[in-house]
Amino acid sequence: MAEVDFERRLERLFADAPELPDAAAFAGRVERRLNTGWTARRWLIGAAGVGGGIIGASQIVMSNLVQRVESAGDSAKVLSAGLTQITPRAEWLTSLYSGGAVVWIASALAIVAMGFALSRVIEEL
Amino acid sequence: MAGATQLRIASLHDVELCGLAATGERRAFGELVRRHGSSVRALLRRMGAQPSQADDVAQDAFITAFERITDFRGEGTFAGWVKRIAARLYLKRLQRERRLGELAAESAPADEGQVAADAEAAIDLDGALKALAPGERVCVTLCFGTGLSHAEAAEALNLPLGTVKSHVKRGLDKLRARLAPAGGASLEGRRGNG
Repeated sequence: MAEVDFERRLERLFADAPELPDAAAFAGRVERRLNTGWTARRWLIGAAGVGGGIIGASQIVMSNLVQRVESAGDSAKVLSAGLTQITPRAEWLTSLYSGGAVVWIASALAIVAMGFALSRVIEEL
Repeated sequence: MAGATQLRIASLHDVELCGLAATGERRAFGELVRRHGSSVRALLRRMGAQPSQADDVAQDAFITAFERITDFRGEGTFAGWVKRIAARLYLKRLQRERRLGELAAESAPADEGQVAADAEAAIDLDGALKALAPGERVCVTLCFGTGLSHAEAAEALNLPLGTVKSHVKRGLDKLRARLAPAGGASLEGRRGNG
C-alpha cells in the first residue's frame, strides 16, 4: 500500500511541474515557428500553383488546340448557318466561336482552375 | 477584437482548443503551448536534458503535435500526449548522438557528492532525480512523468523489458529514500523549479 501511495505521489509531483519564468517567451518562440512554417507553406503552395498553371498552359498551347478550336469554330459556323435557317436567334453561336480569343480565355481559366486545384491538393496534404 | 478573441480562447478547455487547432487555428494552439510548455520542458530536464536542449526538443514536440493534432482524440490529456511526443523526440536525439546506449548501464555513477551537499535538492523531485543513474532517471521519468508502461518504455528506449523494470525499481528505491526520509511531510510543498 505504501508502495502504491508513493508511486501516486510521484506521479503527482511529475504532473505538477512549476511554471518556468520564461514560459511566455517559450510560447512566443513556438508560435513564431508555427507562423514561419505557415508562411513558407503558403509560398510553396502558391509557387506550386503557378508552376502547375504554367505547365498546364504550355500543354494547352502545344497541343494545337488553337487550330482544333478554330476548325471546331468553322464547324460551328456551318452548324449555326443551318440553325439560322431554322431560327434567326442562333446567331450568338457564330459570334461566340469567332477568332482565337476564346482559346485564350479558356487557357486562362484552365490555368486558374489547375492552380486552384493543385493548391487545394497540396493544402490537404 | 483580437483581445476579445484571445480572451475567448483562454477560457476554452484543452480539448476545445485542440479542435480549433485542428482547423488550423494557430492562436488556439499557442494557448495550449502557454498552458503546457513549462511541464513539457520540465519533463525533458527531468529526463536529463540540458535546459537549452530541453527547450529545443520541447519546441519540436509542440510543432510535431500541431502537425499531428488530428491524431489526438481526447483519450488522456493533451499534456500527457505532448509529453510522450517530447520524450520520444528526446530519445531519438540521444540515439542520434549515440548516447542511448549509456542508459542500458546498470549503475552509471550519479554525482552523489553534489546532490548530498545540496540540502534543498535532497527533498525536491528534481534534486532527487539527480541522484539517479541516467538510465534509472529516464526510465522513472518515462513511466511516472509520461505515463508509459514498462513495456512501452522498453520499446521507446530499445532496451529489454527486464532492464527497464530493474531501472525503475532501483530508481524508485532511491527516490523513496530521498523524498520521504522522515515521513515525507514536506514533500508536497517543496517541488523543484525545473
